[in-house]
Amino acid sequence: MSETATGTSGAWSYRTGDWFAVFGTNATVLLPASQKDQVVALWALVDGGAAFDEVLDGLLASGLSRIPGFVLVSTDAGPTRVLLRGQGVTAALTTAEEEVALDGSASHTWVERSVEGVTGLTVQLPPAEEAEEAEGSADLPIVTGLVRVARIDRPAVAAPTAAAVPVASEPEPAPLAAEPVEAIDVLAEEAVPEGLPDEPTVPPVVEPEPAVEEPVEPIEPIEPIEEASPLDDSPATEVMEVVGDPLSDPLPPVPSVPPVPPVPPVPPLPPTPPAPPSATPDGWVTPWDSPAEQPAEPEAEPEAEGEAERETGVEGGSEPATGLDADPDTPAVPSLPTEVPPAAGWVPPPPPSAPGVVDAPPLPVGSWEPVGGAPAAPEPAAFDPDHDGQTITGAGPGVPAPAAPGIPGQPPAPAVTQPVAKLLVSDGQTVVVDRAVLVGRAPEARRFTSSEQPTLVTVPSRLHEISSTHIEIRPGTGADHGTAVVTDMGSTNGTVLVQPGLGPEDLKPGIAVQLIPGAIINLGDGITIQVTRP
Amino acid sequence: MTEVRKVELHHGAATDVGRVREANEDSYLADPPVFVVADGMGGHDRGDVASAIVVEEFARLASEGYDAEHGAEVVAATLHAVQERILAFDTEQRANGADADFSAGTTAVVALLADSVSGPVWLLANVGDSRIYRFNEGELEQVSVDHSLVQELVEAGEISQAAAAVHPNRNVITRALGGSALPGGVSGEADYFLLPLAAAERLLLCSDGVSGMLDDEQIGAILADHEDPRDAAEKVVAAAVAAGGHDNATAVVVDVVGLVHTEPYDADAQRLSLEQKLGALP
Repeated sequence: MSETATGTSGAWSYRTGDWFAVFGTNATVLLPASQKDQVVALWALVDGGAAFDEVLDGLLASGLSRIPGFVLVSTDAGPTRVLLRGQGVTAALTTAEEEVALDGSASHTWVERSVEGVTGLTVQLPPAEEAEEAEGSADLPIVTGLVRVARIDRPAVAAPTAAAVPVASEPEPAPLAAEPVEAIDVLAEEAVPEGLPDEPTVPPVVEPEPAVEEPVEPIEPIEPIEEASPLDDSPATEVMEVVGDPLSDPLPPVPSVPPVPPVPPVPPLPPTPPAPPSATPDGWVTPWDSPAEQPAEPEAEPEAEGEAERETGVEGGSEPATGLDADPDTPAVPSLPTEVPPAAGWVPPPPPSAPGVVDAPPLPVGSWEPVGGAPAAPEPAAFDPDHDGQTITGAGPGVPAPAAPGIPGQPPAPAVTQPVAKLLVSDGQTVVVDRAVLVGRAPEARRFTSSEQPTLVTVPSRLHEISSTHIEIRPGTGADHGTAVVTDMGSTNGTVLVQPGLGPEDLKPGIAVQLIPGAIINLGDGITIQVTRP
Repeated sequence: MTEVRKVELHHGAATDVGRVREANEDSYLADPPVFVVADGMGGHDRGDVASAIVVEEFARLASEGYDAEHGAEVVAATLHAVQERILAFDTEQRANGADADFSAGTTAVVALLADSVSGPVWLLANVGDSRIYRFNEGELEQVSVDHSLVQELVEAGEISQAAAAVHPNRNVITRALGGSALPGGVSGEADYFLLPLAAAERLLLCSDGVSGMLDDEQIGAILADHEDPRDAAEKVVAAAVAAGGHDNATAVVVDVVGLVHTEPYDADAQRLSLEQKLGALP
């Protein structure tokens, strides 16, 4: 029991602050908030299992003078080595015989001490300027990971949760009972299997409790890193390791990824199983009726699932701990089987109520293709053979699901928006963009619904440099809401866009580009379109 | 609306019961600037009434005028009125002792002139498997997209276009006006299309009794051979009947002759000219 306590919850605990702390298996390094970039590099090193000296080399690679302060602690076998530098950086080491206090400001370079048989280690960091003491007061356990700290302790100071009381009651004696060095070395991965045979019931109950509380909190202090670090996900993932250890959940941390609505690959019903006509509408999805159910649900569900997953993992803690195998090189998070089209602006075709729908449609306006794909082929026998080719209805799987919302041919909300821009065509026409506007030598619109009738703008093109349907300009959606976006409809000679303050840009066919007032669109043949505010 | 009238359209229309059917359930309207073909379905369930309702409702547009700037909404409202009338007809028939599942239905293809920023354009609408083709510079192109089972199979990549033409279920359509009591119910939602007049010198609206009997090449050849739209429509229908006439065959051919700025289109004058051309003037 004591060993387990030291091992799992005991690697480290920390209080949140503004210093960065990288906890590794062999070394732990702390750097002030100003050394953010360095932390990123060191993170890879430390988490990769680099030893004390290796980390020190990395730490000093850019020169000692550039680092206002740091702390480096070895946590591998052998004596505990501690390096400190900086004002207000202090450490206290406890051994069986003595207490050692170190102060980072005591030397111009750094203070170093190597101590055998350390049973307790505390590093106190200078408070942040805008320190919030209240926040830093809780001790949070951690094995490995990157967090922001104000103080770290080893072995972990018991988490202040009630469930951890058994551990908290005897933080000191525990390490004493074990071989000191070994105790420090023990990591969660090793400790859990060890502890389980001894105390099959107690440890799983005791340990995971604080862990369960934890995953939310440690992540918070990390957030500031996120903009800069390519390893964004890693800290969170690493912290999860603490949590994940007692869990046997083999899943990647799926819940943390906002699931991509599984739009395109709605598995087509194979045409072979001849479904009765009445059943066939299943699997048929028309873009305007499906999205409501698709994107909405996954949003909430996996979250709840993940929650449940975690809980069951804790309760069934008797299974061997596998860890989440979080590797900074391969953050587990983005590896989901998402089939997001590369076009960033792409969204699943929303109902026509959302104007502008597809921002980057390679298709002409209104080409609402069925999304669900293959309808099931009804069994020939399902129909009266007497009809002999007589037209019949209703059997089609393509029956759009809507139970006639309102007026047939009139979807609920119009695809027409507030005017988002005005187009001044060089031949004198003025067009307001409050719906899709198709511009070309002889523009056509195909397969649209009654409420989204586009505007067709014909421009002269003596040399036929302008394609019949050359570009589309429509009110943007999502991030482009409130502005107009332009899409080249696969024109023969292309389109050049000049945004204010930027150089000319060739539009890529099918890719929508947001238009800034003042933009000039050149279609060729002397025809330009100036974009202004409505 | 007045501007629409400035477009001069010549048209021809023809229909034939075919060689198999006992009744002609197709209906058509050729009343510039509104053109419709409707293919009633169901035989026992009076598809002829359903298709006639379509024509009656759109004839009202032609006679009373419509808001050409919002063509799609106009057509949608008209189709809605058609739906209501067909459902009322169903209810009435059931009340009079028809089967509980009595349900008349019809397809519809519509072409009418609408206004755009740059002048008049064709607004086309389609429900079901009747078709609209355009014939431009000697090329025939199907504009409407069938609401049919085989079309969906084609779009899903399940079968080829050629296979669709002989598919055993090619008679199954997935959208229709009326037909509410049929299994699963169907949508009456139309697809809409806008074509510049210049890109559609000639339009052909037809029922599947034409498009099911003749391939695009045959249709294109007939349209190319007959400059007068009345001849073209008749020849197309005749060819469909000659090719088997399995179903009622109906065709409406519309030519954009030009933009006239004062004189409205005069159907009587056109008819007279045909009689003159045929030497049948009394």
